[in-house]
Amino acid sequence: MKSADRGILSEHDLKKTSNKMVYGLMVGVIVIMVFSMLYPILMTMFNGLKSNQEVNSFPPHFFPQEWHFGNLKDAMKYMDLPVFLRNTLYIFAGNMLMTLIVLGMSSFSISRMNVPYKSAFYFFFLMTLFIPATSYMVPNFVNLKELGLLNQYAAFWLPAGANTFYFLLLKNFFDGIHPEIFEAARIDGASEPRSFFSIAVPLSVPIFATLAIFIFSTAWNDWYWPSLVMHSEQKYTLATAIYKYVINVKALNTNIKFAILFIVSLPPILVFLVFQKFIMRGVALSAVKG
Amino acid sequence: MNQTASLTEHPERKKLQPYKQNRWKKNFWGYMFLVPALAIFIMFMWVPIFKGLLYSFYHVDFVKGNTFVGFENYARALSDPDVWTAVKNTLYYMSLCLVIGFWVPIAFAIAISELRKFGGVVRVAAYLPFVIPGVVLYGLWRWLYDPVGPINALLGWVGVDQISFLTDTRWSMISLVIMETWQQFGSGMLIYLAAVLSIPRDWYEAAEIDGAGVWARIRYITLPSLRSLIILMLILQIIGTSQGYQSQMALLDGGPNNTTLTYALLMVKYAFTRLDYGTATALGMLMFIVLGGLGIAQFKLSKEDN
Repeated sequence: MKSADRGILSEHDLKKTSNKMVYGLMVGVIVIMVFSMLYPILMTMFNGLKSNQEVNSFPPHFFPQEWHFGNLKDAMKYMDLPVFLRNTLYIFAGNMLMTLIVLGMSSFSISRMNVPYKSAFYFFFLMTLFIPATSYMVPNFVNLKELGLLNQYAAFWLPAGANTFYFLLLKNFFDGIHPEIFEAARIDGASEPRSFFSIAVPLSVPIFATLAIFIFSTAWNDWYWPSLVMHSEQKYTLATAIYKYVINVKALNTNIKFAILFIVSLPPILVFLVFQKFIMRGVALSAVKG
Repeated sequence: MNQTASLTEHPERKKLQPYKQNRWKKNFWGYMFLVPALAIFIMFMWVPIFKGLLYSFYHVDFVKGNTFVGFENYARALSDPDVWTAVKNTLYYMSLCLVIGFWVPIAFAIAISELRKFGGVVRVAAYLPFVIPGVVLYGLWRWLYDPVGPINALLGWVGVDQISFLTDTRWSMISLVIMETWQQFGSGMLIYLAAVLSIPRDWYEAAEIDGAGVWARIRYITLPSLRSLIILMLILQIIGTSQGYQSQMALLDGGPNNTTLTYALLMVKYAFTRLDYGTATALGMLMFIVLGGLGIAQFKLSKEDN
């Protein structure tokens, strides 16, 4: 009972003045940290609601003196956000489906089916972990070009099935499901595809949710690779479009710039706040790649 | 005669056939489940990797076709003074990430584990910057670092001279590292925090009874318990930062005066600005040779961890 309540410090420690001061200092540093995390994010929001003159005034104000909600409308007028949003969601949905089917089936096969030479196949998948992704980024692009996939969504969807990290997460998850369930299904006459789709998949909702969040944030954040693969403006993802039309553009008013930045950070922030538990667990998982 | 022959042959066939069929049936779906992944891994991972090896010896031309040039690409890469600048910059970037960024998540994980209240809120706040997209980060920090932005306002308020964070060659890389640390430390912190919280509380109790002070408890219990995780995170960070190029490209395009030109950024520029894919793949192969060893080290360590 008592031992559960303590951390490194016990109640007794905190009675000493020197410890109290250190503890107070620590709390102070954490408060400063929280402030410096939240200030820039709130600033993005408030700057997007100020007049352009106020954004550029020195020293900067925190709260807008006048609220200009019209900026959000101007931001929507400046660029066709819904089209870029749709492109991003296309990529997300396709990548998710590919991960679920291709990696789900292969990891299930490795984890729960008796395939001969299983460890050889496993090693084949795992080996790609040793190769730093950036080192084959250029040939990867050349390969897509030679396959004629440039400027097509398939250039994202198909390679989404080649993710060793997600493969491992899925395999570790399937390893944790009791094999007896599948034995029982087999005895009852269920075919292997059936025991995958009607037993393994429904049991794997938590891991698929974690993967969905990873895949969503990749689709939402990635700006450079899509700018190489998609060369027609109509197919840019949200992040690419913003990089091209907002970040490096001098002629755009700063307040409108911030309004756009605010609009695109809002969905991931909301997703994070709603799915905190999944995400925090996902982060802990990402430490044990391998 | 005929009868006996058929009698001896027949049972054998009966025995063999079901066995063969069973074995095929038994493994059929196992293989079928693997086939799509195998095809995709080959097509989009192994083919590019081998093409990378191949094209590093070729002059790549999409229109006229590729021509074999031997070691010319490697020679060009190694004789380019920019490559050596880029290697130096990358090493500088990596060491700055260690000095400025590496210890921050560990320190905060230990501190936050000691909070009696509001631990959840602090965690969410620390992780929040990691959630916002990279492009927002660049837009936001360009403004924060502006000569008339809030950071310079704060410096002016404490009485320090203005700093041109992005355009001053001494500050440009440091500014990028601070920005990235701000964004990324939350995720590292959560990983460490999970490990700190999994240390049995009784150990601290026992140490305290034996007279160990607070620092001694951190020094001899907390940090040793995190040891293997710290090493793993160190390797992961080195692998990650040695390939870094995105914020250098987005904010400064390698400038001012090539001070933020990292190796990966130079490789990308060779490919997509100069359209010299051959030299770019040669640079990629050199990177692979240097970093491959680190990948193996990471794999071994994370296996031990599990």
